[in-house]
Amino acid sequence: MTAIEVDRLSHVYAGAEGGVPALQDISLKVEAGKFVVIVGPSGCGKTSLLMMLAGLRHQSQGTILCDGRPIADPDPSRVGVVFQEASLFPWLTALDNTEFPLALRGGPREERRRRAEQMLNLVGLEGFGARYPHELSGGMKQRVSIARGLVQDPPVLLMDEPFAALDEQTRMTMGHELLRIWSQTRKTVVFITHSLTEAVYLADEVLVMSPRPGRIIDRVPIPLPRPRTYEMMATDTFGQLRERIWQQIRKTE
Amino acid sequence: MSQVQIVSARLALFAAVLAAWALLPTYGVVDPRLLPPLGDVLSMLARQLGRPQVHEAIGITALEVIVAFIIAVPIGAALGVLAAENDYFGQIFKPMLFYVFSVPKSIFLPMFILVFGIGFPQKVAYAAFSTVFIVIMSATAAVESVKQDHVLVARSCGATRGQILLRIYVPSMMPVLLETLRISMIFNFTGVMIAEMYASRTGIGHLIANWGENFQMPELFSGVILLAAVAIAFNEAVRLLEGRVSKWRT
Repeated sequence: MTAIEVDRLSHVYAGAEGGVPALQDISLKVEAGKFVVIVGPSGCGKTSLLMMLAGLRHQSQGTILCDGRPIADPDPSRVGVVFQEASLFPWLTALDNTEFPLALRGGPREERRRRAEQMLNLVGLEGFGARYPHELSGGMKQRVSIARGLVQDPPVLLMDEPFAALDEQTRMTMGHELLRIWSQTRKTVVFITHSLTEAVYLADEVLVMSPRPGRIIDRVPIPLPRPRTYEMMATDTFGQLRERIWQQIRKTE
Repeated sequence: MSQVQIVSARLALFAAVLAAWALLPTYGVVDPRLLPPLGDVLSMLARQLGRPQVHEAIGITALEVIVAFIIAVPIGAALGVLAAENDYFGQIFKPMLFYVFSVPKSIFLPMFILVFGIGFPQKVAYAAFSTVFIVIMSATAAVESVKQDHVLVARSCGATRGQILLRIYVPSMMPVLLETLRISMIFNFTGVMIAEMYASRTGIGHLIANWGENFQMPELFSGVILLAAVAIAFNEAVRLLEGRVSKWRT
């Protein structure tokens, strides 16, 4: 089953002389339950593409289907989003942050609480619900963000460089944790990153984008077995895959 | 230093000031005609609080302060939000607001007297005028303190415009808004006092100005204590609330 289908998507930002082309003729398909990582140089439009997948921005041309239906506006029951650092609301506790999308919809409070608590347990934050974001470490904050993204049980989770602000060690741990959560929930994940190691470690498939206007210039399947382990990073296969992606990106600069 | 030490040091300082006020004039270190001993001032305060004339003055001043506040805060807040949210309006009016903000408002007082005469409307208008600019500035800052990242997250969670206003804008702005209320009350109170002391026949400010001119120092100081107590009480009450809603701002 296809979870996400993007067909000949292009985007032009309004501006002088007909605007600035940002994305060009992007087509992709993500099968349900797959983990797809998008890499590319800064400013290539990765984040714009993700915003469009989330219904937060509208493309100039082309279509996006999610679960077979177009995405026109944000729909957290179909697509959850995990943003870059500091996206938690500092005036809400970890539990209230997680519950936020449910609170917008209303419904029985008890049930919402229970669901939010389940999500915090899933991301390994049992007992931290009453903490405010400033009382949590960077890794823990991103765990809460993931819990919030999953709380409505959407089939698709979009992640925009969620671990970019973390130190290397925490980042590795969080990547591993994310794979555990993913294997437990069987979501379709589209993940954006700058880190090629992270990309190869996490992905079923890595999509490489060109500099602006962003196009997909390579699709690299990652045949490493699951569950992934840190030891795999030292293998030849891992190195060759990483090198292939690096060559693609370097060629374009 | 521990919290206990800090608090006891503060209390000691306060006690020392009161003791100096009680003792220095009594022993002639300071001229008691200029600074009457604390005891005399407090008994005068008690006597003043029993006089109907003083009650009336307090009532008038309080009403002026409240009416000016009710006029200045919503108008200032609306203009401030407009300046922050509407680019066009903001770009046109912001520089002018900044210029006027820097001018001491008291120099406009004679004009208010010419336009409104001497009385309630003049004092309220002047106090509202001297307050509205700080409210505009603070309201603008309050809107600008809302992070666009948070708005984006809320939208991705399916929030409507109303929900974004209620669940993102209001809590983000609340600490700054309460600070605004507090500071605008300081400006507002000052405005009423200046207007009453400069030219007025009513209000506490008028009494204080009279007492000063007639060299009635115990009366003057009792008035000072009364007004200081009211101002500090309001300020601290709002600050307490501020502390509650801005726990997360660390």
